[in-house]
Amino acid sequence: MTILQEIPQQLLVIGEARLLAGLDRGRADLVRHLWTHGEQPQLTREAYAALAEEAGLKGRGGAGFPVTRKLADLPAQGIEAVVVNGSESEPVSRKDRLLLTLAPHLVLDGATGLARALGAHRVVVAVHDATAAASLRAALAERVTDEAEHRYRSDGLDIQIADTPGRFVAGEARAVLSILGGGPAVPPGRRTLPTRQGLDGRPTFLSNVETFAQLAVLARLGSRQFSATGLRGEPGTQLLTIAGAVQRPGVLETPTGIPLDTVLQYAGAEPGPVLVGGYHGRWLPQTDGVTLSRPQVSAGIVLALGSTTCPLGEVHRVAQWLASQSAGQCGPCLFGLGALVDDFARLLQGDPTGWQDAQRHLGLVPGRGACAHPDGSARFLASALEIFTDDLQRHLTTGTCGRAVQGVLPVPGGAW
Amino acid sequence: MTEHQLEIDWTRCDAHGLCATLLPDDVTLDEWGFPVLRGRRVTPSELTNARRAVLACPALALRLQRS
Repeated sequence: MTILQEIPQQLLVIGEARLLAGLDRGRADLVRHLWTHGEQPQLTREAYAALAEEAGLKGRGGAGFPVTRKLADLPAQGIEAVVVNGSESEPVSRKDRLLLTLAPHLVLDGATGLARALGAHRVVVAVHDATAAASLRAALAERVTDEAEHRYRSDGLDIQIADTPGRFVAGEARAVLSILGGGPAVPPGRRTLPTRQGLDGRPTFLSNVETFAQLAVLARLGSRQFSATGLRGEPGTQLLTIAGAVQRPGVLETPTGIPLDTVLQYAGAEPGPVLVGGYHGRWLPQTDGVTLSRPQVSAGIVLALGSTTCPLGEVHRVAQWLASQSAGQCGPCLFGLGALVDDFARLLQGDPTGWQDAQRHLGLVPGRGACAHPDGSARFLASALEIFTDDLQRHLTTGTCGRAVQGVLPVPGGAW
Repeated sequence: MTEHQLEIDWTRCDAHGLCATLLPDDVTLDEWGFPVLRGRRVTPSELTNARRAVLACPALALRLQRS
């Protein structure tokens, strides 16, 4: 299903293990989950709102939207569903499928606890990884009786596991809601808020897998204990996926605001450029003094490039993939990303018009689509041209930087 | 007073380009023929023309949004 699955994912922890607690020997079944975390307390909506506010909890899917604002935006009554977005469409990210696979009960606790507090009668977990989906189904079978196909009932709550396609823009929140409502796997043209018009056009609380696991931990610990580690403004821990030119690739739990250099050293990263935030993220000019928190860290992806591959050639490969992931509904994204792939191919060969055209096209893509795919892709490509200036100069003068493209940046083939 | 701003539904826009002809002060076209909005508010005196342009869009992609 994914080209990265052959690489064993290591569980790494710096500081206190919360989400990854008790997982060092593999998947936590209900008994091990309860032994590690204890019972999920049943809290009121007001209690969740207060906890999210006090702990400054932000969504862990990439946008870093404050949970407290999402809760405040929901109406007092008539909330349809709580949706766990487990589509994890960033190709390098592994944290969400790892949580669903190894700690399904923690995620379910977070989602069902909040659904009950909000008076929502449905919980939907959108997932496209087969192993994660199987683990979730096994977890539901442990928790509930009366199991129908793909639907489970638990204390009046209807819990559904829904498969979503593995495409970059299909993981966008509104695209997921469209799929769940029987529509196409693309973001809609109107900017609607899930809290107002979500599942079946009704108020919905949707967030990323890790957000729900954090909520489950927060409900148990309370905001004071939750805030004992991490940043003052956004305390607690965070999950990172670290990959690329590193000795120990894997999923890492750290306090929020941890220095990037500590993470790189811990994972055994080769010296060289670092990309933070995945393929919608930014290349860093240096790692010194950089700390990892939202929104810069986005969905928590840290990629080390090393120093033996051709940086701009790697970026060109990713650009081809990003262009292939456009849903094709919005002209500036479809034509703009396609043009940028061509621009990068030409500048790599030493054609200065490739660089000039790229500058122009990078200005024409952001803000002109139904979702953030054009914006994020342009951000990634623009930061490459800003950071890799020496390599750019070499390519423009001699047509090469003297290094081959090794494929350090993983690019999925087909669906992943 | 309600202020208005032009908005494009990018999933609908097919680069017909009528908006740029009808509202040259607000819309230009990029090299692929898709509209580039100048992003300024539509003044009350321009509102009638802006509404006409919205109705003229063959893809129903141009919208007038209250801001």
